[in-house]
Amino acid sequence: MLSSIRSILSFFVGLAAVTIAAATESPRGIISSAILAEPEARKIELITSLAGESDASIPVLLNAWKADELFLYEAAPGNPVPVQLIGDKDATDTQAALRVANGLPLTSVATGLPLRLIAADLTAVEHTSALRRAMKAVLDLLDLAAPDLTKRLQAIQTIGFAQDVEKIPALEKRLGLETDPKARRALQEALAVTRLKAADPATQLRALAELKELHSLSSYDLIRATMRDAAKAGQPAVAEAARVVLKTIDDHKGTINFFGTIFRGISLGSILLIVAIGLAITFGLMGVINMAHGEMIAIGAYTTYLVENIFGTGITIPCFGFSLAIPGIHATGWFYQSYFLFALPLSFLAAALVGVGLERSVIRFLYRRPLESLLATWGVSLLLQQFLKLMFGSNNVQVSSPVYLSGNWTVNDIIFGWNRVFVIGFAGLIVLGVWLVLTKTSLGLLIRAVMQNRNMASCMGVRTERVNMLTFGLGSGLAGLAGAFISQIGNVGPSLGQNYIVDCFMTVVVGGVGNLFGTVISAFGIGLVDQSLQQILLNPVVGKIVVLVGIILFLQWRPAGIFVTRSRNLDD
Amino acid sequence: MDNKYMLTVEDVSKTYDGFKAITNLTFYLFEGELRTVIGPNGAGKSTFFDLITGRAKPDKGKIEFGFNTDLTQLNEYEINRLGIGRKFQTPSVFTEHTVWNNLVLSLRGKRGVFASIFHRLNSTERDQLDDLLKLVRLDGKRDWKAGQLAHGEKQWLEIGMLLAQDPKVLLVDEPAAGMTDEETHRTGELLLSLAGKHSIVVVEHDMTFVKQISNNGQVTVLHQGSVLCEGKFDDVQSNPKVREVYLGRGKTHK
Amino acid sequence: MTKPPSLSAPTGLSVRHRWEIGVGVAAALFFLVVFPLLNAHGMVSNFTINLWGKYLCYALLAISVDLLWGYTGLLSLGQALFFSLGGYMGGMYLMRMIGELGQYHKPIPDFLVFLGWTELPRFWEPFTSFPFALTMVFLLPGVLALVFGFLAFRSRIKGVYFSILTQALTYGASLMFFRNDMLMGGNNGFTDFKFVVGYDLRQASTQRGLFIITSAVLLLVYTSLRLLSHTKFGLVQRAIRDGENRVLFSGYATAHFKLFIFVVAALIASVAGALYVPQVGIINPSEMDPRKSLEAVVWCAVGGRGTLIGPILGAIGVNALQSWATVGKTAEYWLVILGSLFVFFVLCLPGGIVSLPAQIAGLWRKLTAKSEPSASEPPAKSS
Repeated sequence: MLSSIRSILSFFVGLAAVTIAAATESPRGIISSAILAEPEARKIELITSLAGESDASIPVLLNAWKADELFLYEAAPGNPVPVQLIGDKDATDTQAALRVANGLPLTSVATGLPLRLIAADLTAVEHTSALRRAMKAVLDLLDLAAPDLTKRLQAIQTIGFAQDVEKIPALEKRLGLETDPKARRALQEALAVTRLKAADPATQLRALAELKELHSLSSYDLIRATMRDAAKAGQPAVAEAARVVLKTIDDHKGTINFFGTIFRGISLGSILLIVAIGLAITFGLMGVINMAHGEMIAIGAYTTYLVENIFGTGITIPCFGFSLAIPGIHATGWFYQSYFLFALPLSFLAAALVGVGLERSVIRFLYRRPLESLLATWGVSLLLQQFLKLMFGSNNVQVSSPVYLSGNWTVNDIIFGWNRVFVIGFAGLIVLGVWLVLTKTSLGLLIRAVMQNRNMASCMGVRTERVNMLTFGLGSGLAGLAGAFISQIGNVGPSLGQNYIVDCFMTVVVGGVGNLFGTVISAFGIGLVDQSLQQILLNPVVGKIVVLVGIILFLQWRPAGIFVTRSRNLDD
Repeated sequence: MDNKYMLTVEDVSKTYDGFKAITNLTFYLFEGELRTVIGPNGAGKSTFFDLITGRAKPDKGKIEFGFNTDLTQLNEYEINRLGIGRKFQTPSVFTEHTVWNNLVLSLRGKRGVFASIFHRLNSTERDQLDDLLKLVRLDGKRDWKAGQLAHGEKQWLEIGMLLAQDPKVLLVDEPAAGMTDEETHRTGELLLSLAGKHSIVVVEHDMTFVKQISNNGQVTVLHQGSVLCEGKFDDVQSNPKVREVYLGRGKTHK
Repeated sequence: MTKPPSLSAPTGLSVRHRWEIGVGVAAALFFLVVFPLLNAHGMVSNFTINLWGKYLCYALLAISVDLLWGYTGLLSLGQALFFSLGGYMGGMYLMRMIGELGQYHKPIPDFLVFLGWTELPRFWEPFTSFPFALTMVFLLPGVLALVFGFLAFRSRIKGVYFSILTQALTYGASLMFFRNDMLMGGNNGFTDFKFVVGYDLRQASTQRGLFIITSAVLLLVYTSLRLLSHTKFGLVQRAIRDGENRVLFSGYATAHFKLFIFVVAALIASVAGALYVPQVGIINPSEMDPRKSLEAVVWCAVGGRGTLIGPILGAIGVNALQSWATVGKTAEYWLVILGSLFVFFVLCLPGGIVSLPAQIAGLWRKLTAKSEPSASEPPAKSS
């Protein structure tokens, strides 16, 4: 009698719970109902209904259930409330209790205060092996359904690599629900890889065919293992199919490496071009060896650093020991992200101003003495480095790059990082800009006139002094732009420029002094050769040394660089 | 002996970035001859010297010294060592060295690294240099730095340096530039006295000077990188083609 | 007019010559005899003599820079590389002489033990022999200079291109030496030396001996180069600096001359490095920093390029200044001082310190000439 009443009662309670759950669709509610539901089949049904849900409470509660951390609390007899005990036990062994149904603290009906319960006094919620299996299936699928794509992809891959045949139904189910193409592809790969473990050769062959179709790079080792196992198990058909798949993947890998190398080469070439184009103007067109070119880059980078912090929360810089506090405007969202657009012109201006100052104070006395200009500007480079050190501190600082520069774009397994794509676009814009300035503006006309024949231009009434100053400013400003850009791909420090100065000179010298087009060709040439060597030698340092030696040998063949500017003077 | 060629230039062309500096030039220089080369600006006179002295390599053609020494395969110093000396259009002396040391550097002798470390002037050489100093009238300025000399004096010093090398062929580019009329005349006499012992090619603009040194010898007129005509001074002067080239430019020389 | 006794010495210089010889002999006596004696009797500290030993090594390095830059017009930024190579060759020998006294008490250098080696790599073996190491001090930098110089001068790379290329060479080499699998100690290099040809490096007498040897080498190099500059070779060398093409058209193979000088300069730098390492007790790839080459150029510029005494004075002067300035509060301003020194000397005093007397004399002459307007300025005598 009592038991029948009880079962009827619990049936109603369960019904009520299900109804509530259906109404709110809260996973917590469903779990709470499942705890109270009878019989076991109903529990399993409720738990399984959670499959595909991605609520964060699901793993917490199910795992707690399995770990005997869920209890039934009878506030009133015959009215058990599922609770989760959390937190550390205190002196009297009590713990805080949360209602499973809503995650809120359990309160005393009398006082309304949170209750603390003792685990030993309560009945733990039971779980059978069938129940646990149901929970595990839900948990597995849960990660597969994680709302964050990266997390989802990772879960899919992990499950795939485990090659657990039992996961096949879960994966299949998920494949039916998944809409993201990347995740679908990953699921297909995971399914195929898992099916490699299937006992039946026909399934294995089908899986191999699918992997071949997918050019699955990540499954390479697993396919090789399958090939070995199949050969051992005396299934030549599977082994042969696996070999073919491996070969296809190898070819695919070759293609990816080839295009990837070209892409990386072009992006490295773009970096070289960006840092060297200013030098191509000061050194190439004006013949001034500016060893402080690297510091102009650093000035641009620090300007970007300042702008970023002004857009953010402000910054305190050492500034010769005076701790200068610069307030920030606390920008957020896209406005904050756009700081880079403001940093670009400011970096150009800052470096250009320093460049003009340098030209007026030092370089204009040394136009006819290139070796001396090398030495004096090196002195200036030391001064600027120390200045930056005292101004901003000697530690490297980090400039956070805008979100739109992270992420990538994968085409046929070739990864095109946004930042690299950005570099290439940036280099293109700068080259275009310089070309326009030199060919379409009156300043460009004056620059070319003065560089070709200083005396003649001067006779024609060109203010050569002014043109020199502006040209040098332009070259330095471009170095500043390079700095703004460099700050996006690495740390910014006082000796930042030193890392680039040798590369810059090499690029300009190989291109042929006095020829901007040569600099472009040489930058991309060096970039491609460097990346190819890295691909072949698998060692960046050795690659770099080989490039340097290669450049020395190249100059044997073309001492004046790719493009030669001839002169008929005896001592030019 | 009269018909021995010192220099053979046959069908030589040279292009600089699309500009034809020399086109199919053919030129022979006999031993002991004093040849004057004239031509308007841009006629290719300096390039012609550059090709002979190894400063530039011809695109095609044959350049030989003596019987069959191919000059196109040699570089500047090898050609100089064969006995071809050149005086440049703008005086080029070692400005930081003394007049004396300029001559010491030019003096005929071994040119190797180790030879120059162990080289000591003997008394014959010293006398020879003293004579040269007197000849170019710089004996009072032997310890002056060459950079401190006047323009005309530098020209003389360079001639002295050329003579110190004792070359078989002298290529002289506008020796009279920057000299007074009197100095120019003296230069002409010097060149005339050298002819016979040496074979000389003089490039010059100054027609009075050309008339003086051409004496009875051949004058070659270059125009647009080729030989326009060759002959005695008077014949050349009356040649209608030459007159056209010079008159066509709206200016005639006295 | 009396015939001059040598090629280039016109009359009137013999007084200066005698002065120079007098001062030279006095300085040589001081560094070879007096200074070490004072040290032996405790009147000059071991620290001081060690410091001066370092300065004199730097003076040798500066001379090698000046031989190229001041005398031949070739600004090499690769002298730090040759200096370090000499140091490394000597250092390999010194590493072998540590024997089993290293921290790991193994018969091979500590860093090799650290890298997991149990036996000496093949190329290290001969460095146990002092004569071999000494030969390598000359051979390796010499051959490198020969090959690089041959390639560079053959293709007529000059002026700033030469500077940039030598800088690139140095940069490439330093990248190589930073690598552990080069088996040359990686970025820690070599240190903790104990013995040289049986003498304990930690003994004052050994350091004194090294100082005397350094002084003697400096004297030898100075004298040889002084003599060389008075030969026809010296004339050609300076003529190349002032107008290389003219030299070429005078029948001199300028490339051969430059190559010879480049190799000699490399050897001088290398010997300086080999002497430097046992006195300073460490060699690592940071010595190859292109900046080090440029610093040596500063010494020349400050002292006076195109002279032999200039680089010596400059090296000692600038380094003494550095030793003084990098202690305490002024340390962080050292780069500012160095940079300013450089800008100042290049712009305002290209002749360096040694040209100061002549500059002052010139000023004086101008001032006195004002009072005698008829005085015609006599031509400056060449030196």
